[in-house]
Amino acid sequence: MSPEERKVLVVPCSGIGKTYGTVSREAAYEVTEDLRPGSTGLVALSLLVLGDEEARAAVQAHPAVTIDGCKLACAAKMVQESGGHVAQGIAVLDVYRRNRELKPQGIAELNQGGQQLAHAVAEEIAAVVDDLVSCEEAPDHA
Amino acid sequence: MPDYLETTVDKFIFRVATDRLYTAEGAWALADGDRVRVGMTDFLQQLNGDVAFAEVKPEGTAVATGDEVATIETIKANVEVPSPVGGTVVEANPALAMSPEAINQDPYGEGWLAVLEASDWPKDRDTLLDPGAYFELMKGQAEEEAQKL
Amino acid sequence: MPELPGWKVGIVACSGEELAEGTVTRLAALWVLEHLRPGETVTICLPLFLAGGEGDRAFARFYPTIAVDGCDRRCAARATEQYSGKPAASVVVNDLVSEHGLGRPEGARRLNESGRQAVVVTADRVAGLVDELLGGHWNRRRGSFAEGAPAAPPEAAIQAACACASAIPIQEVDVAGRPVSLAALPLIFEQFHAAGKAPGPEVTRELLDIVRIYNDVPAGTDEAYTAALAREYAAFCRPKGARP
Repeated sequence: MSPEERKVLVVPCSGIGKTYGTVSREAAYEVTEDLRPGSTGLVALSLLVLGDEEARAAVQAHPAVTIDGCKLACAAKMVQESGGHVAQGIAVLDVYRRNRELKPQGIAELNQGGQQLAHAVAEEIAAVVDDLVSCEEAPDHA
Repeated sequence: MPDYLETTVDKFIFRVATDRLYTAEGAWALADGDRVRVGMTDFLQQLNGDVAFAEVKPEGTAVATGDEVATIETIKANVEVPSPVGGTVVEANPALAMSPEAINQDPYGEGWLAVLEASDWPKDRDTLLDPGAYFELMKGQAEEEAQKL
Repeated sequence: MPELPGWKVGIVACSGEELAEGTVTRLAALWVLEHLRPGETVTICLPLFLAGGEGDRAFARFYPTIAVDGCDRRCAARATEQYSGKPAASVVVNDLVSEHGLGRPEGARRLNESGRQAVVVTADRVAGLVDELLGGHWNRRRGSFAEGAPAAPPEAAIQAACACASAIPIQEVDVAGRPVSLAALPLIFEQFHAAGKAPGPEVTRELLDIVRIYNDVPAGTDEAYTAALAREYAAFCRPKGARP
């Protein structure tokens, strides 16, 4: 599998009603732009909601890591309904529970706790991406 | 499964179970003899947001009516839930340690907080609101909150 | 006809992450909600239309919505129409950028200066649309403004049967084994009951006629809806709120 094909898609919920939605969005950017730019791609949830063919094809072709801000789990549900596979579903609230000191606030703009929480989420996703990519690499070395 | 009284404010739907009694602060009480299960109302859990942590008084704790029976922590607030009944905690919901979101997802069912052996249920019962009365009070509270936004 | 509570406008932003314009929609919607028109607007989370946000779906079905999209794909406008109801208005950031001669917004994660300017003009446009919608008469069934209809009555004249002064209550009922959310049903029941209409076949027919105004009753389901309304209204008329 070529490096281009070894890609993990990151799908944030970007929920507009809660600070966790903004944390999901910021974490997705950090993973795809800073931490793992070569092995990840970002898919807009709104395109999946609309049934955009290109977005659907992408999630069907690559494993996805979804980031959800609440238990309604829109990102995970939409990836599944689009025929994709959720390799790992990240719940921002669960990451917050493991990092209780990082209390997020703000939707349009995150406070420092929110930025740090987004970073913690991004680090967890980066580790998942590494596992997924290394699993896909293994057959090449057999 | 209980029936519900239901109202909508903006895009938020609030439900009140019709099989139990309520405090004005948003706690519910469901009695089975002298054993009373208590929890938070749908309005109270929506008002405070996603529960990150829930700490319930442990088994054996004596709780007076109105004293804190649980503390719920969300990113918005730390909410002390006053007990609608006085008595002794005989069971704290074990699911809340790992899955406190049950309070948000099913506040009248799986999200219960504690069971108390009531010291004087008839006396406490008479101070509580029936579903219809709480529903009307809650509608007013919900509307006030919507105006604040 | 039930006296319905005062209106709000729902804003559905695409929030698309791939383009800076998506970030513009998100920030503009929040600016309108929090600063320009607080108390008159609600944000609707687009994915919730599909993921089970019954409150969001009901709101968008009944209240006018403004779709705010970053680009010509118009995800918010099209998805809202597909899954709920046609938006009353639609704004596309790219169009506004051209109209105002702004530079191209860049930086989906951190907007550049042009992006920040785009947020301001988009929020202003949306706020203006909110004012128009709150001053007009939105016909939910047609998905358009009623021609020649008077403006929404002033606040003092609204006598909502429901204590919630800003929302349409909905009630979920079992229609032939299927849960169906019916907008305005609690209000309709309250007004019928207040008018002294006891449950019965004639009253149920009247109920169905009124329910049709606020809800889609699919062809061929009259019998099922009639049975459901008869059952629910009879239950409504029984004394409620008795102490358990």
